[in-house]
Amino acid sequence: MSPHTPCSFTLVITGAPYSSQAPQTALAFARAVLANGHRIDRVFLYGDGVHLASALTSPPSDEVNWSQAWQDFLESHNIAGFACIASALRRGIVDQSEQQRYELPANNVASPFTIAGLGEWVDSVAHSDRVIYFHGGG
Amino acid sequence: METLVIISRAPYCDWTGRESLDMAFSLAAFDQPVTLLFTGEGVNWLRKAQQADAVQQKSVEKNLSAAPIFGVSALMADHKACKRYGLNEENMMPGITTTDLCAELLEHYAHVVNLS
Repeated sequence: MSPHTPCSFTLVITGAPYSSQAPQTALAFARAVLANGHRIDRVFLYGDGVHLASALTSPPSDEVNWSQAWQDFLESHNIAGFACIASALRRGIVDQSEQQRYELPANNVASPFTIAGLGEWVDSVAHSDRVIYFHGGG
Repeated sequence: METLVIISRAPYCDWTGRESLDMAFSLAAFDQPVTLLFTGEGVNWLRKAQQADAVQQKSVEKNLSAAPIFGVSALMADHKACKRYGLNEENMMPGITTTDLCAELLEHYAHVVNLS
């Protein structure tokens, strides 16, 4: 890839914050992508990665809040962030609509993340120049 | 522009296998060509007569046998892994092609996904 040829990226994060390095590695990568003149089509949270979309993440004050850091990054660059609906519901990540559907006592998806199906990822496979995965490992 | 989805974790040990299957079926549902490859301990997904209810899980045998109907191009299993885990034509579900997992195989695919 030439540094002079802008490319479009999708980032897929499957590792959860605080149990893996995936979210912060992905964020560093995302910043580098934009700094080098490329574009990020979307960020897709899958598997344990959906925990990054939780509005209830509350680490100690001397640790980075990776959920908040990602929210700030997505908002400031107007990038769409999606959490896979099947992964999210299994793991207790719920938006207002799903709260009502399943009659749950609360919702906790942090804006600008939204819940979406795997079709968003399929669209990335079909249309983004690069789809990069950040796994939890182990 | 075909995608290869690799499953290398044993069934029922975590959810990566199921979530990999969901990815493959989603691609097929959107008419995107996709092949599934089972390797390592993941070949045990292909074993006949799994008793998943014993660990309060759902067997994926039916899903896998329906994969061609849903549009998954092929189900492949790494030959060495099958040998290691004692899988053969008799105890493996039908419709699986055995292959050697190597760089030449991966080069056929524009996109390779391995959640493990």
